[in-house]
Amino acid sequence: MSHRVALSWRLQSRRWQAAAALLSLLLLVACATAAPTAVATPAAVRIVSLAPSNTEILFAVGAGAQMVGRDELSDYPGEAQQVASIGSTYGALNAEAILALQPDLILGADITSPEQVQALEDLGLTVFVLANPVDFEGLFANLELVGELTGHSAEAQTAVSGLRTRVQAVTQATQGAARPTVYYEVDGTDPTAPWTTGSGTFQSLLIQLAGGQNMAEEMQGWGQISLEELVARDPAVIVFGLGPWVPTTVEGLAARTGWGDIAAVRQGAVYGIDANWVDRPGPRLVDALEAMAGFIHPELFE
Amino acid sequence: MSGSGADKAESGRSVRNARLSRATPWLWVGVALLLTALASAAVGAVPIPPVTAARILLARLPALHIRADWPASYATILYEIRLPNLALTALTGMALAGSGAAFQGLFRNPLADPYVIGVASGAGLGAVLAMSAHWPAGVLGLAAVPVAGFIGAVLTVGLVYSLSRVGGSTPVTTLILAGVAVSSFATAGTSLILLLSTSELHRAVTWMVGGFSLGGWEPVLAASPYLLLGLGVLVLLGRPINVLQFGDEQARQLGLDVERLKLVIVVAASLVAATAVSFSGIIAFVGLIVPHLTRLLWGPDYRRLLPLATLLGGSFLLAADTAARAVLSPRELPVGVVTSIVGAPFFLWLLHRARRRLRGW
Amino acid sequence: MAELELQSASLGYADHPVLRQVSLRVDPGEVLAVVGPNGVGKSTLIKAASGALPPLSGEVRINGLDLRSLRPAARARLVSVVPQATDLPGSFLALDVVLMGRTPYLGWLENEGALDREAAQLAMQRTELAELAERPVGELSGGEQQRVLIARALAQQAPVMLLDEPTAHLDLRHQDQVLRLVRELARERSLAVLLALHDLNLVARFADRVALLSNGGVRALGKPEQVLTPDGLAEVYGMHIHVMPHPVFGTPLVLSGE
Repeated sequence: MSHRVALSWRLQSRRWQAAAALLSLLLLVACATAAPTAVATPAAVRIVSLAPSNTEILFAVGAGAQMVGRDELSDYPGEAQQVASIGSTYGALNAEAILALQPDLILGADITSPEQVQALEDLGLTVFVLANPVDFEGLFANLELVGELTGHSAEAQTAVSGLRTRVQAVTQATQGAARPTVYYEVDGTDPTAPWTTGSGTFQSLLIQLAGGQNMAEEMQGWGQISLEELVARDPAVIVFGLGPWVPTTVEGLAARTGWGDIAAVRQGAVYGIDANWVDRPGPRLVDALEAMAGFIHPELFE
Repeated sequence: MSGSGADKAESGRSVRNARLSRATPWLWVGVALLLTALASAAVGAVPIPPVTAARILLARLPALHIRADWPASYATILYEIRLPNLALTALTGMALAGSGAAFQGLFRNPLADPYVIGVASGAGLGAVLAMSAHWPAGVLGLAAVPVAGFIGAVLTVGLVYSLSRVGGSTPVTTLILAGVAVSSFATAGTSLILLLSTSELHRAVTWMVGGFSLGGWEPVLAASPYLLLGLGVLVLLGRPINVLQFGDEQARQLGLDVERLKLVIVVAASLVAATAVSFSGIIAFVGLIVPHLTRLLWGPDYRRLLPLATLLGGSFLLAADTAARAVLSPRELPVGVVTSIVGAPFFLWLLHRARRRLRGW
Repeated sequence: MAELELQSASLGYADHPVLRQVSLRVDPGEVLAVVGPNGVGKSTLIKAASGALPPLSGEVRINGLDLRSLRPAARARLVSVVPQATDLPGSFLALDVVLMGRTPYLGWLENEGALDREAAQLAMQRTELAELAERPVGELSGGEQQRVLIARALAQQAPVMLLDEPTAHLDLRHQDQVLRLVRELARERSLAVLLALHDLNLVARFADRVALLSNGGVRALGKPEQVLTPDGLAEVYGMHIHVMPHPVFGTPLVLSGE
């Protein structure tokens, strides 16, 4: 499996959607009960982010200047790279480095393991874990939550409405339009058995909202399909994630043995999308949506 | 093995060297442990001056009346991060080297390591199962994963042992073969589970590469009784294990209850290795190399080899862990990577030197 | 002092007995040699006599005690085994190896005491190994290694001693030396010695009695000149054999006649 998938947020399948929502609710309740009222809790001003998506959210709500530490993979926006790195979030967290920054809030994500959270809490630090959203409303809720935690509620609201408008623009435009079959490639290391996404993932949701039909929709979660299956289903659009450790290119994919006859390849409807837009549960999911819509319905979007 | 070509002067020198080495190993090993412990406590993202560190530790003694003039985080770092890490690392190193030495003695095979009869693969399977199925977490919380790992390791070894029983005896070659087969199966099972529940991939990889990173004293306190009990038993079995080196048949003819001895060794060494793996992940190389190193330096007598290798294992892993944290700070390398990179060339050099002096094993 | 006795013992492995209905006795002070073609069961017999291989039927007794009824340590106090000196773990010192002969008297957690060290010393003196005590066995010659294993068996202080092809890898001089030592020890300490050997001429010189094995049983049992006859041997070995008196010792000298 590609490194990218391992890094990316793992989307819960349908069975766990309820659990995720419940968890978010419980976390909110826990936070609320920990502090008597949300209003009385002071805004966090020394924040350490343990995931690139959290970093992007923090900057989106205007709390970037309040960050004192980030994981080493947080690279967007550019200013984030000026923030001190606490190293990798794989394996043991560098607790000392985190402690030395004297944070008043550590923002974890789905990729933060419960042991890592416990280890930090045992040191007396405050940790808040943002659950992976299953849809855009979930994403917006996360942004608003972070806005509250950091004293940027108003900015968060503004950001959210802007994002919401953009999402609605896409969904309204694609309403009623024909749905071409879309194949989204997660990992093409083995071109005879590539990894794709089934339903229950945010990637699948993006395809759907952008007016397409996920080719592998009967599958739950991620999995491999055979090249034969792919050729049989003959998708009209192919999208794959681009990234520094993904060697796939448009030309390369089109040139793969046996792929030449697929409709998308013949019609030149093969597109790469910045993997970080798609894999990080942050505001750039909206950018991803807009790009997808452009790939799937070029006639509707510029 | 004719000695007719042996140089008399050379063998005389080797006898003298042997006598000298007999006296000093404990000193060397003790010093190594002390130095590596100090290094481990001294290294970390926050530079704490050694004098301050000493004062923080001594402040625990009320009689000395040391006033706290250091930032509160220093004490937290020392007591909650560095010291527990030091303790767990040392214990893990001791466990891996001790059980590795015991397995090499049991199998009379220099390629044996603590994982050869399925401890690592079984622990991996157990841990990953616990991560994917969330039910044990409700009862045991975060302890579910190390407990499940431990149970997985123990069950796997039990399976390997019972598969190897041939009419009242367990030939060691059968044990190894069964271990290899069952391990492959367990590893395949682990991969399958991870494929089906990709959400646990990150957590599983984290565990395999370096354990639970739970931090604090709890893992140390939880692991110590098993480790100390198991190692204590193994270290005392040096003499019977020496006899075992002549083969099952000769050992039996010399009056040793070979089957019972093998069972005790398997149980104690697996217990120790399973505990170590459950808390610290699968760290390769220590259990294979440290006993060898000890043997090359101080001879094959298991009465000395077992305790010396155990202590040396502690130092070895402490050194590797210190390097892993210091080299690419603030990034922490997995300690297994360091043990391999550092250990392998060093071992080759020692082997090259020793081949001239020692004949055979 | 004790005698070793096999009573109608069938020996071998579950689905395939190697020897059937073997009965023989070794008395204190005597050396009984077991001979026969390769694969006939000499080693199997030694294994069974040591208790390592329980008989499929019949009994193996020492001083009337059935070996099966004894725990390993008790058995090892009655019978010691000298295997071939091959594949010894070479880094152990000769003294350490001889001390291992004291294993039957020590618990797992016990270390050797003064008594044990004394027994080992005596054994090494008798086998002329005193100077080699601190040498790793891997550095010793074949003959010296074999003597170390004999010393180990001596240290065991068992009244019955078994030897399995002790001269297999030794040169002429050491073959003589080792077997002469064994015969002397048998006399001195009234040991009952059972010896598996393939060299018929050595057997003729050093054994008191010979058991000739063939086709799963004892074909002949008696003094060397009674058993080592041209007809008896020709039948067992399937070739012409010539036997003549040894020019120096007068014992049977067996030569190939083909």
